Amino acid sequence: MIEMLDHTADVGFELRTSTLEGLFDEARLALLMVVFERPPDEGGEDRVVRLSAPDRETLLVRWLNELAYLIQDSGFVPVGARIWIQETGEKGYALEARLTGAPLLLEEYGWQGEIKSATFHGLDVKREGEGWRARVILDV
Amino acid sequence: MNFERLGRYKYRLPCEGRMEVDAAFYASEKILSDLATEDYASLRQLQNVATLPGIVEPALTMPDIHWGYGFPIGGVAAFDPERGGVVSPGGIGFDINCGVRLLTSGIEREELERHKSRLADTLYEKIPSGMGKGRKDFSLSREDIAEVLVEGAAPLVEKGYGYAEDLEHIESGGRLAGADPGAISERAYERGLPQLGTLGSGNHFLEVQYVDEIYDEEATGAYGLSEGSITVLIHSGSRGLGHQVCQEYVERFLQAAPGYGIELVDRQLAAAPIESEEGREYLGAMSAAANFAFANRQLITHFTREAFASAGFGSGEERLDLLYDLAHNNAKFEEHGGRRVLVHRKGATRAFGPGEEELPEGFRPVGQPVLVPGDMGRYSFVLAGTEGAMTETFGSSAHGAGRKMSRRRARKAAKGRDLVREMEDRGILVRAAGRATVDEEMPEAYKDAADVIEATHGAGIGRKVARLRPLIVVKG
Repeated sequence: MIEMLDHTADVGFELRTSTLEGLFDEARLALLMVVFERPPDEGGEDRVVRLSAPDRETLLVRWLNELAYLIQDSGFVPVGARIWIQETGEKGYALEARLTGAPLLLEEYGWQGEIKSATFHGLDVKREGEGWRARVILDV
Repeated sequence: MNFERLGRYKYRLPCEGRMEVDAAFYASEKILSDLATEDYASLRQLQNVATLPGIVEPALTMPDIHWGYGFPIGGVAAFDPERGGVVSPGGIGFDINCGVRLLTSGIEREELERHKSRLADTLYEKIPSGMGKGRKDFSLSREDIAEVLVEGAAPLVEKGYGYAEDLEHIESGGRLAGADPGAISERAYERGLPQLGTLGSGNHFLEVQYVDEIYDEEATGAYGLSEGSITVLIHSGSRGLGHQVCQEYVERFLQAAPGYGIELVDRQLAAAPIESEEGREYLGAMSAAANFAFANRQLITHFTREAFASAGFGSGEERLDLLYDLAHNNAKFEEHGGRRVLVHRKGATRAFGPGEEELPEGFRPVGQPVLVPGDMGRYSFVLAGTEGAMTETFGSSAHGAGRKMSRRRARKAAKGRDLVREMEDRGILVRAAGRATVDEEMPEAYKDAADVIEATHGAGIGRKVARLRPLIVVKG
């Protein structure tokens, strides 16, 4: 479940899902909802993203920043993702994602404006009952 | 929230909990009531800033205070390197050295009105937003970018993208010393290369305006502003290059902070001592990104001059001269109270008062111009730096009106309305890449800049000089 948050200067969202991988996929969808009025849902190009981070919060920030970079600087809109996340002992977490993408078409998708970065402000990624919950603020 | 009134527009947040020093903020009654409606979220952020090591009293916010991430917007904090003072990339922001510059001219409003529509179209065509179609007739090499990172705006002026006299009318001469391009990652280069000379989206803009009201004849004389004359206000920053630098160093500082015994109350405040390997590297990278931002606004200025020339303006009295370019997201070493401190300004403007050596000679009798953009439908202000700012706010002042409505709420409020048409009915032509940006930036989404100016002028941290009203708004 994605809930958009009111933040005076920036943009935020809260995510709730049953798995950590699902949470990261919802973050992708929420990002698409922020940057496009009508996000595409089909694409023919594939890319693989591999990231690691010392904790889940940093991994989520890196994931969102990587996706924003792919959209804004590479013209690749990640319309679908298969995500695997592993704990790597003391080194933290590793993520691998196989992305399906569509080319960036600003007018067709209703471009809403650039994302500068995901922030660590008020960020948490935590277990809640049987599932996962995260809250993210983006600088726009 | 525990605060104490010190004057009509000044309040003190006493040192409590993990705060190292007192904090102070400036607000009118109206601004204070806005702070209450957001449950003092930005004042809590100010208290968080006051917990950082080596901070010099007081931690501050300007009257355009609003809720940010990490630092509040409008935040000013000085750190003493000799007392373990820190640098915090999040306290400078992702858009390193974002700022505004004002161009002045002898063009009269009536004269411009005759060419307004053509000029609006030409400006929109010549100044890329940075997404989608760029300028096919213009590109810079990686070597050009490397030079800009070290030298700032000057190499562009040498290539013909500006007048020689532009440089002395840019804060710090358009170049922060100590830039280290080696501290900039390959990805930051990659992102910066196609984006030099682009406006960006969100609250970035270019406005053609006219001087609507003069409040201070001496200062307007020094600044070359006359009633009814045309000005151009440009707001942009360091684009993807600056965002990338900040992202990388926030993460690095998060890992480094515990090693220096820094306990963070908000991870976005990640910090390292100024006198540490991480601190020095970040300051080198930040200065390089700042130089990119100065150069970016210089190139946008060149494109603006091209657009005015195509519309039939551009020589003699009609020439666009740079009044001043100043940043509102950076950290700079300055002398305050007899010591050298690193002043972080996060959505706050440097506002040096009369007599300061760094100012161009013509500004020294009256203080530097301080540019305070409002919203796209009402007005912006020119202030002058004051002695009061030098003694109270580390030479800082307000940087804008400040949002009062979230972007989501603004889009909801704009539903069913045609804001471009509404603005046109008010005599303002809007050219924008997308409707969403216009909706988010609707005038009602911002506080009335006049409230911010009342508190700034009333508190003596900026002196009201002139008011500017928009005629053309270009948004990325």
